[in-house]
Amino acid sequence: MSATQRRLACVVTAFALAAIPPLFGPYYTNLFLTFAIFSVFSVSLNLLLGYTGLFSFGHAMFFGTGAYATALALKHVSGLPLLAAVGIGVAAAALLALVLCPIVVRVSGTAFAMLHLAFSQMMYVLALKLHNITGGEDGIGNFPIPALTIPGVGSVPMKDEPANFYYFAIALLALSLWLMWFFTRTPLGQVQLAIRENARRTDYLGFRVAQTKAVIYVFAAANAGVAGSLYGLFHDLVSADGALGALVSFAPIINIMIGGIGTFLGPVLGTAIFELIEELASRYTEHVELVIGLLLVVVIMYAPMGVLGVARMLRQKWRRDAPAAGALQKTS
Amino acid sequence: MNPTTSMYVAQGLHGLAYGMILFLIASGLNVIFGMMGVLNLAHASFFMLSAYLGYQVVALTGNFWLALLLAPLGSALVGVAMERFLLRRVHAFGHMGELILTVGVGSIVLAAVKSIWGTESLQLKMPAILSGRVTIAGLDYPVYRLFIIGLALLILAVMTLLLYRTRLGKIVRAAVSDAGMVNALGINIPLVFMLVFGVGVWMAGIAGVAIAPILTVFPGLADQVGMDAFIVVVTGGFGSLAGAFIVSLIFGLLSSYGVQFMSELAPVLIVAFMAIVLAIRPHGLLGARDS
Amino acid sequence: MSILETKGLAHDFGGLQVLCGVDLRVEQGERHAIIGPNGAGKTTLFNIITGTYRPSAGKVYFKGRDVTGLAPHALSRLGIGRSFQITSTFGRLTAFQNIRLAVLARRGIRFNALRSIDAMDDVTKETDAVLARINLGAERDRAASALSYGKHRALEISLALASDQELVLLDEFAAGMSRDETHDAVELIRRLTEGRTVVLIEHDMDAVFSLADRITVLHRGEILATGTPAEIRANEAVKEAYLGEMEF
Repeated sequence: MSATQRRLACVVTAFALAAIPPLFGPYYTNLFLTFAIFSVFSVSLNLLLGYTGLFSFGHAMFFGTGAYATALALKHVSGLPLLAAVGIGVAAAALLALVLCPIVVRVSGTAFAMLHLAFSQMMYVLALKLHNITGGEDGIGNFPIPALTIPGVGSVPMKDEPANFYYFAIALLALSLWLMWFFTRTPLGQVQLAIRENARRTDYLGFRVAQTKAVIYVFAAANAGVAGSLYGLFHDLVSADGALGALVSFAPIINIMIGGIGTFLGPVLGTAIFELIEELASRYTEHVELVIGLLLVVVIMYAPMGVLGVARMLRQKWRRDAPAAGALQKTS
Repeated sequence: MNPTTSMYVAQGLHGLAYGMILFLIASGLNVIFGMMGVLNLAHASFFMLSAYLGYQVVALTGNFWLALLLAPLGSALVGVAMERFLLRRVHAFGHMGELILTVGVGSIVLAAVKSIWGTESLQLKMPAILSGRVTIAGLDYPVYRLFIIGLALLILAVMTLLLYRTRLGKIVRAAVSDAGMVNALGINIPLVFMLVFGVGVWMAGIAGVAIAPILTVFPGLADQVGMDAFIVVVTGGFGSLAGAFIVSLIFGLLSSYGVQFMSELAPVLIVAFMAIVLAIRPHGLLGARDS
Repeated sequence: MSILETKGLAHDFGGLQVLCGVDLRVEQGERHAIIGPNGAGKTTLFNIITGTYRPSAGKVYFKGRDVTGLAPHALSRLGIGRSFQITSTFGRLTAFQNIRLAVLARRGIRFNALRSIDAMDDVTKETDAVLARINLGAERDRAASALSYGKHRALEISLALASDQELVLLDEFAAGMSRDETHDAVELIRRLTEGRTVVLIEHDMDAVFSLADRITVLHRGEILATGTPAEIRANEAVKEAYLGEMEF
């Protein structure tokens, strides 16, 4: 896609996004917002998984931290502005990532994956048990959702205003998505790929692998925090099952695999597909787990590159030369 | 005997018994991972499946021992089928692929179990001779806990003997350290893998039937015990059976005494223990650096 | 002061003595080859110099500084680069992306997350220039692992050479190459290492004799002889050591 085409696509998308509340009404608007939140969450995981080769099975940690931090801040600090609350959520997620960095950059592969599963599970248990702070199983609910104050312009109420909140959330999610996209186009984004391909060689070339991983890790966590924070605000409820459960860690992995692990937008597509399937499955059958299970098995056995990966393969078959096989962004 | 001491002993035995159960499951996971590098997130599901099969056998025949014999075999059969027909194909995509596949199979097993047996908790009665208490040296012990501990130790003893005293065991041990080499020596590695996989799942299956009378049989079994078993493997260190053994026992005791004295915070104890271990040694207590 | 020196370097693998009192000296700017029959200890020596092993005894000096036992990446940062015998590139990245990484490293652009890399014209130009120099211009957008063996090795060597490191260690760069490919590789190395010091282990005698300024011969863990190619060629002891193993 050329730069002009890309800009055009962005403008069209912006219009399309803006048109959703008036065109489709609150039910579908909310559905779309859920999709958007989990898309960003999945893309943030893909920064680790697909781009850097770091398999985390506990990304829910950062989602949940963002959600709980925002909810707690709003509950205990009266008069806290909306953006500040979201900022606190993001900062908390980033801080958690920073704290884990020393442990996390020392391991890779399966150890990394399992470590994250373990830590995430730990947070889940803590959230359940420390119910003085976290509300236990019930979670934190009905915390104040302040209006968005734009200095010099006025304030936009958010509570009970689905359309307003939608625009606010979409704007933040779009910003987050754009930042992540831009990141992959920077020199650091290239080092990220290098680490995935050959960490040893990257080290020998003179790059600081551990520090680079740390930067990527914190960045991905912060973006997951954005998604989590907005999720909490959206539902006006943050609970352990909804924000820190094992499914919250696995869902983005599934989304990424279905959509295409080596691409930036793959996770977005995957989220859409998976949510659609989940929605349909729960409407027409009781055996939702069966459908999900079968889906996973079929995808991994017959289309592990995901939808976009398959599409790319087909596109390459029609073209003469074969550029980079497998998981890769084009350079131009 | 002093009722308080009796209680401590009972709790301790329960803890040890639970720890042994965890170890039976975790060791299967560990060996499968250590040898094949395969991450099997469906392992706990087979554990649960065996509990359900055991329930069914008892429901049909009233015989606990028959259940103990048949159910783990049935579950192991399903597990081996998964390995043979599905897992092998996704090796190429590394651990991600294996994880996704086993999560998928785990979901399918869960769905199957729910639709066949429903979502209610089912009761698997322990055999009469094993219920009740026995008095040894002035202290009262619940018989069933002793039975579990004994059974687990028996299986471990048999496994150790097989591994270290038979030719097959030698082959398996060699395959664990260098599958490629053993393959080059003309030994049918895929068959060995299948065998080890099957035995691992079988051991989890035994654990399933053994613990069923205490925990009851319900769809959440896999998640509940499975997560504990995984934490054991992670904390003890991948590929380290000794680590898994030590951690299993610690977990079992922590969870048992924890529930007694700190009820609410018992799970926190376990995860705190895990966090401390992992913070100092990210590869687990006795884990090897490179898996 | 020599750029690279080893003093009394010795190494044994649990009782098996592989290196014995090796005093190597490499002068700045020269191309120095280390040769020797199989089992002479070349690879061990190489691995010690590049930080993979810590020697049982003896010291390694780089520009007068004791670097014995430093980890490979630390040595890399001090200015010692290396290529790998088993081709080690960024497989799924294109040739262009591979070289660009080396260019970025050379320019010290290690943590930049603020600029779009495609907007960095000077980086792109330099990368294309390097690609042209190693005759991989046509394969610019080809995945490294999809390249032919010879071209893949050329990429491997370029990764080692594209950085600014003063001392480059090449580990059997001609491994598995055809005669033509070897010839191209030699040209490549000559072009890319002007002004730099190169130490290479090599079995291919043609490559050695066309590239090396000086040669050190290892035999049974000890230095047998050091000298210019002509001197080594004429050395009787060297001929005897090789006796039929290789052609001069």
